[in-house]
Amino acid sequence: MKTIKLLIAVVLIAVAIPTQAQTADEIIANYFENTGGEEAWGKLEGLQINAVVNQGMEIPVTIIEMKDGRQMIKINLQGQEITQLAFDGDVAWTTNFQSMKSEKVDSETLENFKILSGKTFPSPFLNYKDKGFTVELLGEEIIDGTNTYKVEVTMDPVKADGEMVDNKVTYYFETENFVPIQTASEIQAGPAKGQISKDTYSDYTEVDGLYFAFARTVFGGQALEIKSIVVNPEVTDEMFAFPVQE
Amino acid sequence: MKTKNIFLGCLFASFTLVGSAQEIVLKGKELFGDITARQIGPALMSGRIIDMEVHPTNPQIIYTGTAGGGVWKSSNGGASYSPIFEEHIQSIGQVAIDPNDPDKTVWVGTGEIWTRNSVSVGDGLYRSKDGGVNWDKMGFENSERISGIEIHPENSDVVYVSVLGALWSPSTERGIYKTTDGGTTWKNILYVDENTGAADFMMDPNNPDVLYAAMWEHRRTGWDFNSGGNGSALYKSTDGGATWNKIHNGFPEGILGRIGIAVAPSDSNRVYAVIESEKDKGLYRSNDAGATWELTNSDFALTVRPFYFSRIVVDPKNPDVVVKGGLSGSISKDGGETFVPLGNMHSDIHDIVFDINNSDMMHVGTDGGVYRSWNQGTTMEIVSNLPLSQFYHISVDDAEPYRIYGGLQDNGSWYGPSSSPGGVEARDWVRVGVGDGFRVLKHPTKEILYSEMQGADNVWRYDMERNYTKNVKPLPVTGYDDLRFNWNAPMAVSTHQPDRFYMGSQYLHVSDNMGDTWRIISPDLTTNDPAKQPTKSGGLSNDTSGAEKHTTIFTIAESPLDEKVIWVGTDDGNVQITKDGGKNWTNVTANISGLPATTWVYHIEASVHGKGTAYAVFDGHARGDMKPYVYKTKDYGATWTSIVTDDIPIFARNIQEDYVNEDLLFLGAENGLYITVNGGKNWSHFTNNFPHTAVHFLDLQKKTNDLVAGTHGRGVIIIDDISTLREVTQDVLAKNVHFFDTKKGTMVEEGGFGGGSTELEFVGPNPGTALQLKYYLQKRHTFGKMSLEIQDMEGNEITTLTPGKSKGINIVRWDYNTKAPKNAAGKTLSFGAFQPMRAKAGTYKAVLTKGKDTYETTFEIQNDPKSFITAKEREAQHATSQKLFDIQEDLAYMVYKMDEMIQTGEKAIAADAKAKKVAQPLIDELNALKNTLVITSGDNYVDSAPPQLREKLGQLYSDVAANYEAPSQAQLENLSLLSDRYAKAEADLEKILSKRLSKFTKYIEKTDTLAMELKSKEDFLK
Repeated sequence: MKTIKLLIAVVLIAVAIPTQAQTADEIIANYFENTGGEEAWGKLEGLQINAVVNQGMEIPVTIIEMKDGRQMIKINLQGQEITQLAFDGDVAWTTNFQSMKSEKVDSETLENFKILSGKTFPSPFLNYKDKGFTVELLGEEIIDGTNTYKVEVTMDPVKADGEMVDNKVTYYFETENFVPIQTASEIQAGPAKGQISKDTYSDYTEVDGLYFAFARTVFGGQALEIKSIVVNPEVTDEMFAFPVQE
Repeated sequence: MKTKNIFLGCLFASFTLVGSAQEIVLKGKELFGDITARQIGPALMSGRIIDMEVHPTNPQIIYTGTAGGGVWKSSNGGASYSPIFEEHIQSIGQVAIDPNDPDKTVWVGTGEIWTRNSVSVGDGLYRSKDGGVNWDKMGFENSERISGIEIHPENSDVVYVSVLGALWSPSTERGIYKTTDGGTTWKNILYVDENTGAADFMMDPNNPDVLYAAMWEHRRTGWDFNSGGNGSALYKSTDGGATWNKIHNGFPEGILGRIGIAVAPSDSNRVYAVIESEKDKGLYRSNDAGATWELTNSDFALTVRPFYFSRIVVDPKNPDVVVKGGLSGSISKDGGETFVPLGNMHSDIHDIVFDINNSDMMHVGTDGGVYRSWNQGTTMEIVSNLPLSQFYHISVDDAEPYRIYGGLQDNGSWYGPSSSPGGVEARDWVRVGVGDGFRVLKHPTKEILYSEMQGADNVWRYDMERNYTKNVKPLPVTGYDDLRFNWNAPMAVSTHQPDRFYMGSQYLHVSDNMGDTWRIISPDLTTNDPAKQPTKSGGLSNDTSGAEKHTTIFTIAESPLDEKVIWVGTDDGNVQITKDGGKNWTNVTANISGLPATTWVYHIEASVHGKGTAYAVFDGHARGDMKPYVYKTKDYGATWTSIVTDDIPIFARNIQEDYVNEDLLFLGAENGLYITVNGGKNWSHFTNNFPHTAVHFLDLQKKTNDLVAGTHGRGVIIIDDISTLREVTQDVLAKNVHFFDTKKGTMVEEGGFGGGSTELEFVGPNPGTALQLKYYLQKRHTFGKMSLEIQDMEGNEITTLTPGKSKGINIVRWDYNTKAPKNAAGKTLSFGAFQPMRAKAGTYKAVLTKGKDTYETTFEIQNDPKSFITAKEREAQHATSQKLFDIQEDLAYMVYKMDEMIQTGEKAIAADAKAKKVAQPLIDELNALKNTLVITSGDNYVDSAPPQLREKLGQLYSDVAANYEAPSQAQLENLSLLSDRYAKAEADLEKILSKRLSKFTKYIEKTDTLAMELKSKEDFLK
C-alpha cells in the first residue's frame, strides 16, 4: 500500500513540476543549458547555414550570420549565385530578379538593419539585459499539439512607415525540453501589416557542442531544410559588400 | 541544471509507466494537429457591425467590433481589415482605445448591444497591451453584453465599463463599473435593478469627471420583446461616478425606453439624446450639458426601432453636425433640427465614426458590413474584405465541386461553390432570395432549390437553370387554424422521394410535387400556449415584425432509413415522432431527463445508423439558460442519453453525425465547433483557423467528407475531409507514429485562368487537389532528423516533402510533381526549366524517417477520371517530356564541362601568359559555341537576349510537361529541330575538343596547380 502511495506521490510531483510557474529567465537559462551552454553560445563568432528550399527543385541556399551583424543570404538558381539579401554593417542590398543587378534596400529597412545589427545573433535572448532587451513570460500555449512557454522578447524599436514601433517576437519554448519550436511576430509594414508572421523549428541537431534547429521556416513559412551548419565560418568582406556594378 | 533535467526525465518515465493502462485522451490542438479549417466567406454581403472606433492620433488605425465575427483592425485607413480577436467569443459590444497608450492598449467588451432576436452573447471584458496580438480577460464573465468602455485620458488605471447585461433574463451584473487599479478590481457605481442595464455611456471628452449613463429597462423572450419601464433614465455624474443625478429637465413625460447619448467633442455643453418614450419620442438637444433639453426632431428615421438603432455621433469638429444610426442612417448639419438620409448602402446603420482629421471622411457600420465615405456620408463604398456573413442555416448538394446553400441575417439567401478557379470569390455567389434568408435546400436530383424569407412570408422554388422563381408557400386551409411560421421557418426535403418537400408551421405540411400542392399531416405539434402568442411586441415602440412568432415547429427530420419515420421539434419544447408517415404522432419530450421543460428544440438529426436513432439539440438561451443540452435516442425517443460534458461551456444549436463512425459527432455551439471521437464521452473545441464564432448549422458532404459549418458571423467555414477522425482509436493513439489511410490522389486536369478579384476583395481559399498524407505523432518531433520521401514501389526516390512535426495529426500535401531538370548555367534564367515532371498514375510509397526508425505507407494516384485523354496520348506526353527533360540535363552537363575548361584555360593564362597559345583558341571556340547554347548576356526582362538552345528547350519542355495531352505536331516538329540542334552542338564540341583539347591537356598536366577535375555526369546531376 505504502509503495503505491509513494508511486502516486512521485507521479503527482512529476505532473506538477512541468506546469509549475517558471520565470522567463529560468526558461531562457534552461534553453541555453540544454542547447550547449550560455558560454559556448557567447563565444560564437558566426554561422554559415547550408540549406535547400524545395520548390519543385531543390534550390541551394547559403545563409551567413556574423556576430558583428553582417549577414548574407544567397541562392543558387540554374548555376547562378544570386544574393537575395546582404548587409555589411553599412549597406544592405538585394538582387533585382528582372535586371539581375544589385540594388540597395530602402533607407527605413537599412535603418532597421543597423538598429539591430549584431543584437539578435545568435539569439536575442543571449545577454538580453546587456542589449537593453526585455523579456516577459506571457503564459503557456499549445503549439504543434504540445505545451509551450510563451516568452516575448522586446528588442530595440524599429521604424515602420516613418514611425518608431515596438519590435517584439514571441518565442514558444516546448515545456518538455525548453527549446523554441515556434516564433511569432507582428508584421509592421507593407500590405500584410498587422498580421502575424510565424516560423517553426525542429530537428535540433548538435554541431560542435551547440544544438541548432535543422528544419525550420523563414520569412513566415518558407521551409528550409538545413544540410549543414558551419560554426565560425571563414568569410571575406566581399561576401557582404555591395558589388561594383557592371 | 542538467541534474534537474535528468531528474525530471526519470519522473516523466515513471508517469508514463503508470499512465499507460489509462485511456489516452487528446483534446483540441493536441488531437487535431494540422487539420485546419478553410474560411470561404462570402464577404460580398458581409455582416452586422456593432461598434466602430478610431485611433485618437493615427488616422490609419480603425477598429470594428462585429455582431458575431469578432474584432477587426484596419492599419490602412479603412481600405481593408484583419481579424485580431480569433481566440475569444466573437460577439462584440464595444471596442475602446486607451488615449494614454493608443498604439498598444485596446479594450474589448463582448456581447452585441443592438438586441434583435438573433443576437449572440458575450462573455466579459478583454484587454490587449500590444495592439491586439494578445488578450487578457478582465472580468465581467456574466455581463453578456457590454455597451461602453471609457478610459480616463490621463490615467490608464481609471476605466469605466457600462454593462447592458442579460437580454433574456434578470441579472445583477448590470450598470456602470469603475476601476482605479487598471482592471484588477471593479466597483459597481451605478445600478438600477436586475431588469435595467446601461445601454449607452459617455465621458465628456473635455472633462473626465463628467459622465453620462443611459439606463434601459428591457427584456426579450422567445415570443416577446419589451423595451421601456420605470428603470429607464438618463443619469449624469460630475464627480467621476461617485454620485449620479437624473437629468430629465425637458424630457418627455411617462416611462422611457432606450436612450442614446452623445457629447459634442468640440463643445461639452452640447449634448444630444435620442429618446424612446411613450410620447414625443425623438432627438433632444441640450446646450447646457444636460441641465435642460428640447425636442428637435421626431422624424421616422430618428425614432424607428430604438433597440436596434440608438447610436448618435457628433462630428469631432462641428457640434452642429450629428449623425444617427437607423434604417438608412441620417445626418443633420443644423444641430439636429433637420436630417437627410445617408447615401445608398446596406440598410440598418449601427455606428458611424469620423476621420480624426477630415470630417468629410466617415466609416459606417451596417447590417451588411462597413462602408466608407469621402463626402460626409453622401456616397458610400463597401469594404470588400470582411467575411462576416451570418448564416442561420447551411446545406450542401452533391455537385462537383459541391455547392453550399444558406440564408443570412438581413442579407438574403445564396449559394456558392466549395471551390472555384482562383479561389471562392464574390462573383461565385448566386442570390436566391431576398429579405432575411434562412434555410435553402437543394432538390436531391433536379437543378431546383427551395428558399424562404422571414416567417415564410415567401417560400421560393427556384429553378437554377432557368433563373425562374415560383412562390410555393403553404397557406391556411379550411379546418385548420391560421398558420404560425417561425421567423426561421423549417423546411426539409426527402431523401426517399426527391419531389417531396416538407414545411413546418404549427402543423407539418408535406408536398409530393415540389410545393405545388400541400397536405397537412399532423395536428398542432406545439404546446399552442396562448401566453406565448402575443399579438403585439416591442414595448414602448411597437416592433411587430414576426420575429417573435412562437409555438411553432422549428426542425423537421425524415429518417434517411425510413421515409415514414419523421421527427419534429418545436420552439416551445416538444419532440414529436411519427412512424407511419404522419398518421399517428407521439410526443416523447417527457422521456428526456435533465432537460428543463419547454426548452427550444433547435435541431433533430435523424441518424443513418439506426431507424430509431436520433440526436436532439435543445437551446435554452432565449430564457437565460446558457447550458448545452444534447441527447441521443436509439429507440425512437423512448429513452434518451445526454451526450454533453463540461467540455462545452455554452449552449449549442446543431449536431452533425458522421455517416460512417457513429461515435464521431460534430456540435455547433455559440462559441464555435466541438468534436467528439468517442460518442460524446469527451469533446474537443476545434480552433485551427476556426474563430470562436456561433455555429448555427452543420452539414457533412458525403463524397468529400467535408464538414461545412454555417456560422453566424464568419460565413462558411469548411473542414476538408474529416474521414481521418474516423480512424482515431485508442490503438492509434498508443502508437509513436501511425499513417492513416491515404485517400487516392487525383491529378485533376485543369488549365484555366480564374480569379477576377481586386486587391482588397476577400477570396476564400480552395481545398487544393494535392494528395494528402496523414499521420499521427504521439509526440512533437523536436530533436533529431525527420524526413519524408515519396518512392516508387522499387524504392527509388521520386521526391522529398517537408514533413509535419506536430503532436497529433499531421497533413503533408504532395502535388504529384517529381523533379525539374537540372539546367545549364547561363547569364539569365530559363523559366521553362522550373517546371517539374508530373508523376505517372500508379502506386507509390511514402517513407517517413524519424531518427533511426522508418515508417511507410502505400497509396495510389490516378489520372483525372473525367479526362478525355487516352492512355496512349498520356504515354506520348510523358515520353516527350522525359526526352526534353533528358536533353536539357545533357545540355547542362555539356555546358558545365565547357565552363570548366574555359575557367581552367583562363586560370592558366592568368598564371602564365605563355598558356595563351594553347588556351585562348580553345576558350574562344568554346565561348562561341556556348553563346549558341545558353543566353550569356542581358537580363530577365527588357534587356533580354534572344533565346538560345537552352531557353528554347525549356520553353518547349514546359509547354509539353505542364500539359496532359500528347504533344502537338508543331511541338514534335520543334523537338526534332531542337534535337538536331543539340546533336550538332555535340558534334561541334567534339570537333573543338579533338582539335584543341589535347594540346591544352598536355599543357595543364605539366602544371600542378591547374588540374581539371570534371565531375561525372551522375555526380553533376545530383
